[in-house]
Amino acid sequence: MPDLKILLEDAPRKRVLLLGNEAIARGILEAGISVVTTYPGTPASEIGDSISEIAKEAGLYMEYSVNEMVAVQVAAGAANSGVKSLTAMKHVGLNVAADMVMTLAYVGVRGGYVIVTADDPECYSSQNEQDSRFYALLSNLPCLEPSNPHEAKEMTVTAIEISEKLELPVLLRTTTRVSHTRGPVQYGKVVKPNLRGDFIRDMKRLVMVPAFSRPKHDVLLRKVAEAKQVSETSSYNEVVKRGGEIGIISSGSAFNYAVEAANLIDLDAGFLKLGMTHPLPEKMIAKFLQSYRKVVIVEELEPYLEMQIKAIAKDHAPNVEISGKMTGDFFPRQGEFSTRLVAIGLSKITGKSVLIDFQKISEKFAEATKGLPSRPPILCAGCPHRASYFVIKKVGGETAVYPDDIGCYALGISPPLNVGDIMICMGASVGTAQGISKTTGRVTIATLGDSTFFHAAIPGLINAVYNNSRIVVAVLDNQATAMTGHQPHPGTGTTGMQTPAEKILVEKVAEGCGVKYVRVVDPFKTREATAVLKEALRQPGPSVVVFRSPCTLMDLREKRRMGIKIVRAKITDKCTNCMACIKLLGCPAIFLDNKVAIDENTCTGCGLCISICPYKAIEGSCAE
Amino acid sequence: MKEFNIVLAGVGGQGTLLAAEALGIAAVKDGLNVRVSEIHGMAQRGGTVVSTVRIGENVLASTVLEGQADILLGFEPLETLRNLKYASEKTLVLMNTERIAPTELAAKNIQYPDVEEIVRKIRSFTQKVMLVDAPKLAKKAGSNLAQNVVLLGALAGTGLMPVKTESLVSAVEELVPQKHLDTNIKAFELGCASIEETEEKT
Repeated sequence: MPDLKILLEDAPRKRVLLLGNEAIARGILEAGISVVTTYPGTPASEIGDSISEIAKEAGLYMEYSVNEMVAVQVAAGAANSGVKSLTAMKHVGLNVAADMVMTLAYVGVRGGYVIVTADDPECYSSQNEQDSRFYALLSNLPCLEPSNPHEAKEMTVTAIEISEKLELPVLLRTTTRVSHTRGPVQYGKVVKPNLRGDFIRDMKRLVMVPAFSRPKHDVLLRKVAEAKQVSETSSYNEVVKRGGEIGIISSGSAFNYAVEAANLIDLDAGFLKLGMTHPLPEKMIAKFLQSYRKVVIVEELEPYLEMQIKAIAKDHAPNVEISGKMTGDFFPRQGEFSTRLVAIGLSKITGKSVLIDFQKISEKFAEATKGLPSRPPILCAGCPHRASYFVIKKVGGETAVYPDDIGCYALGISPPLNVGDIMICMGASVGTAQGISKTTGRVTIATLGDSTFFHAAIPGLINAVYNNSRIVVAVLDNQATAMTGHQPHPGTGTTGMQTPAEKILVEKVAEGCGVKYVRVVDPFKTREATAVLKEALRQPGPSVVVFRSPCTLMDLREKRRMGIKIVRAKITDKCTNCMACIKLLGCPAIFLDNKVAIDENTCTGCGLCISICPYKAIEGSCAE
Repeated sequence: MKEFNIVLAGVGGQGTLLAAEALGIAAVKDGLNVRVSEIHGMAQRGGTVVSTVRIGENVLASTVLEGQADILLGFEPLETLRNLKYASEKTLVLMNTERIAPTELAAKNIQYPDVEEIVRKIRSFTQKVMLVDAPKLAKKAGSNLAQNVVLLGALAGTGLMPVKTESLVSAVEELVPQKHLDTNIKAFELGCASIEETEEKT
């Protein structure tokens, strides 16, 4: 990673290579945004992370909030005190924040406020691939949709301007391919942040009791009408190419594929590119539709544009033939798009042939890669979760049920650990465990991480105590929000401003929630951890076992920094090649080189294989 | 130059992201338009990773079309194979010989396939294959972790890159920690020289 100080440079017109998310961070500085709140989540994490690196120097306030709902609440408080604010989250984070967002739309904001939501078509690092643009329709909030890093930066500034004009929060919706694409970004001027707000008491505006909500709904609908005017004249909604045999309407990454795909099949098409996708510029779209006999809508995920454009066509251009994913099935509603996919769709619609024989490439590729071993993401060598799951599986066996949660530990589903029976959303392990335990009477061990515990599991835990559910909650505490890049959380003792904070311990919270049996163990001390977990299973009510050991990636970095030598595990000649280490642990450092071997570059010296080897044939350091 | 496409394929943790970013920075230094795609999060944890770099005036999308890679830079033999769909007869496959065994192999008691066998399969797509012993060169430079920079050097050594070698070196300088700078510069030079030397043999 380059030095993020580059984001601070007040050098208008400078051209810099930035990740989409870093470009949004730069946009934050150019918009004069002063409060940034976030909960990390791929593909949105680097927005908050970049700001965290530079916040002090830039003079703004940032925080890793405990979850997305709280992040929006904090920012809404700031924005209603007149301070420009932004909250960043992944798409499913918006579900967590939705209760707040829906009514914040009624309340509005006094300072500008932007909510960034990053969708993840193809589920690269997510549990679903929802199309968050529907939140714009649902909440009536304006929505901007960039197609590349430079636009992402520009639109962050524009979003604040629109928000200030309409006194409404504005959604900035990216996808993985925008957030995680690097491209040249041209800098504008940095605007000095202003953290000083003033709160003006105004109950009719801010207190949403029914009598005040009803008129605010009218206000919101009037603002939508005003936003439509903004959309009609926005430079982000633009006919980028006129004429041609057909018209193509597109937005976001899909626009990039559509242009390249049209070139690939030698299709002369006109293009309407939509960057403000709520509310849609009805007049502009109507005019575009009227200039063609055939119009194609190219968009990723749901037919969000297509549904609305068809409604516009009914009133303004009833004879135009509209193709997309609702009619004719030319493009899928699931998965990520590519130039290939769009070229094939356009070719079906127009009869133009694709010049590259993709079918032949696919066949040749299938032939060359027959029997190729897969390489799914797995727990890292030395990951403490491997030790925790080894213990949990040893105690719970095949009969226990293992509700699982969102984070690195979800990788425990891979063989040979095979732990994880139901995994849906943040914190759901604790809730679903209760329903399973109550109805099946089976031993139920919920596993979740430290950051997830604080984010969404505490109400579930209180529920388990209150309703006396016989579950074990195993908190795999690796002292970080590890999967998304080791961001701090309430249990780490550090804030997003990189200042020390009160360290909130999972075990204290569990005790405070009324859990009677709470223990903390070191997962690498497998015998002790096993004994504790067995005891937890015998409790009449809910119990909490915290498996605490730092993420190995952080630990290694720290050891390297301190110059501490790592004692790696070594196979000795006592090895009988029984394969127990491979069959029980699935550690990526252990491989077969005619017989069992340990890769010296990968091994972290965690010692787990040493403690489980039946023949004591592995040497090194070990916690037991 | 219409466009120049590089696909970088490897295993999470091998430093493909840094290599791809260096290529992007070098392109911007040379005043070129560029898009780099990356995969973060879940996909990185020891799993297969692919980054793509596209350089060219009209490039919009950051991902590469099947068969359209100018160079497929393989950080690991099996991962090179897994991304062969980006190759065609015009593609140069530049492959690190360092093998990282997927855990599936050990679990099923299967040996890692011969690199020669993998090269044979690559040749069914293109005759232009070059191997780089990056671990050897990285260790020679001072750190096994510098394999990604060895491979960047090898890319420069092909003489095919649309970016200047000095821009690439200066991008590496921006990205690696100051205290490892010498090791990385050495790694780059060794990678570069290794290709220039073997150019004729393949």
